[in-house]
Amino acid sequence: MSTLAVHAEGVWKIFNEGANNEVTALSDVSIDVGKGEFVSLIGPSGCGKSTLLRVIADLIPPTRGSVSVAGVTPHEAREKHQYGMAFQQAALLDWRTVRRNVELPLELAGWDKDKRKARALELLEMVQLQDFADHRPWELSGGMQQRVAIARSLATDPEILLMDEPFGALDEMTRERMQNELLRISKATGTSVVFVTHSIPEAVYLSNRVVVMSPRPGRITHVVAVDLGERNEDTRESDAFYDSVTAVREALRGRATPVGEGGARLAETS
Amino acid sequence: MKSKVNAIWPPILLAALFLLAWQALVVIQDLKPYLLPAPSLIFTTFITNLSLMLETGLYTATTAVLGLLLGTVLGIVLAMVAQRFFVFRNLMIPVAAGIAAVPIVALTPILNNMFDITSRTPRVLITAIVVFFPIFVNVYRGLTEVPNVQLELMRSLSATPRTVTRVLRIPNALPFFFTGLKVAAPLAVIAALVAEYFGGPQEGLGSKIASSAANTAYGRAWAYVVVAIIVGLAFYLITLLLERVTTPWAGRSRSA
Ligand SMILES: Nc1ncnc2c1ncn2[C@@H]1O[C@H](COP(=O)(O)OP(=O)(O)O)[C@@H](O)[C@H]1O
Ligand SMILES: [Mg+2]
Repeated sequence: MSTLAVHAEGVWKIFNEGANNEVTALSDVSIDVGKGEFVSLIGPSGCGKSTLLRVIADLIPPTRGSVSVAGVTPHEAREKHQYGMAFQQAALLDWRTVRRNVELPLELAGWDKDKRKARALELLEMVQLQDFADHRPWELSGGMQQRVAIARSLATDPEILLMDEPFGALDEMTRERMQNELLRISKATGTSVVFVTHSIPEAVYLSNRVVVMSPRPGRITHVVAVDLGERNEDTRESDAFYDSVTAVREALRGRATPVGEGGARLAETS
Repeated sequence: MKSKVNAIWPPILLAALFLLAWQALVVIQDLKPYLLPAPSLIFTTFITNLSLMLETGLYTATTAVLGLLLGTVLGIVLAMVAQRFFVFRNLMIPVAAGIAAVPIVALTPILNNMFDITSRTPRVLITAIVVFFPIFVNVYRGLTEVPNVQLELMRSLSATPRTVTRVLRIPNALPFFFTGLKVAAPLAVIAALVAEYFGGPQEGLGSKIASSAANTAYGRAWAYVVVAIIVGLAFYLITLLLERVTTPWAGRSRSA
């Protein structure tokens, strides 16, 4: 199992179990994410995408099932800063400069001052914001704030990135630029990514595999493998891209062949 | 910046018009000072007794500052305890509301009897009680009303509750604290002044206003009222200045 970034097996999450407002957010979800792999979760609102991500991140416990992250329990992975997380909101701290926001994970991981400053500047250079290190978050545009949040999520050089609609609030142009940037960074750092999105083209453009979920109860219905090779300016206009977009759309409508027993295992894609 | 300058003139103009109308009313209607003294009389009394005025104002201001400090420290500490320890939470909020409902007018003579008659302590305590509630309520809100996404971020980084308090809750509470302080600071001056009406040393604005009025020195009584207004305004403006300096991000669009 140590070759997997994320391994989840038979995961259930039932909120308010036994009460009359009981919600089955995840029902028998199984998913594997390989090292260096980019996997997107897509599906209508309320199908449990955020819940799955939060179970993986050990922000909430699963009701049933087992999860491992980077070969250890989610709790250990969290304690060892083995994953980085980014949300739809940049969630920057307004009272800190941009650089000190990026330093936050390093501060909590006990790095000393000079080392974390150097690392933060290096990360800001990676997201091309080195000139804004001493600015305050509110002085930045939404896209720039989100880049800071991504730099922060990469601070401890985690093996895994967990991202919950990080580009959801951005305009289309910024969004495409950010997608390229994220691909470049995750490739350069060898980071595995689990990426929640509402956008079919976004999922297809970014991913090795697109995991399609459906609500009530939240479950995985399809896994669409995407093989577009190296992404470039032409990728979004290629036939292969449109074919994959169509495949995901069909899956979302419930028309394609659903995954069989065992869920979204790696084996089915290769 | 220009709009700020323009915003200063209307209230000054209004105040000037008001004083003129007041002066005219007193002169034309030939009002006796016990009914309403003319602004000119108040002003000359103020200037001729300037050092006494300052001394008296300073005494009340000192009481107010001491009470403000005590009430603020208590408010902050108890808000932190209430946020941190679940058992205290449901206990503390009714207690705080109870303290807010304390009739200070009734409590002052009682406290005066408990302490030395020449002591400032009862007045400081009264002021602290009045100050406590707005500080406690606002700081508690600031410590607890933290965006959920930031709490999740902290958890994803394995931050301990103590770290979350230091890194997230306290800075988050700062603008809330100043909202409370802007209410509490002028209130402290009023509380200190009111407490002086009910016995104790014959010092301070409250005592002097009462004794001047009793001695039919109406111009002087009103001059002390002017000092009280100046002290109250000064407290408010100092708070405003502190707020600007320490929480430059307050009121900005949140990036969260
Ligand atoms: N803390 C919670 N308590 C109760 N129900 C929840 C909670 N979090 C999520 N849910 C419910 O679980 C379901 C899945 O939510 P979520 O994972 O946020 O969906 P998505 O991210 O796909 O939009 C929804 O019906 C939502 O209302
Ligand atoms: Mg969601």
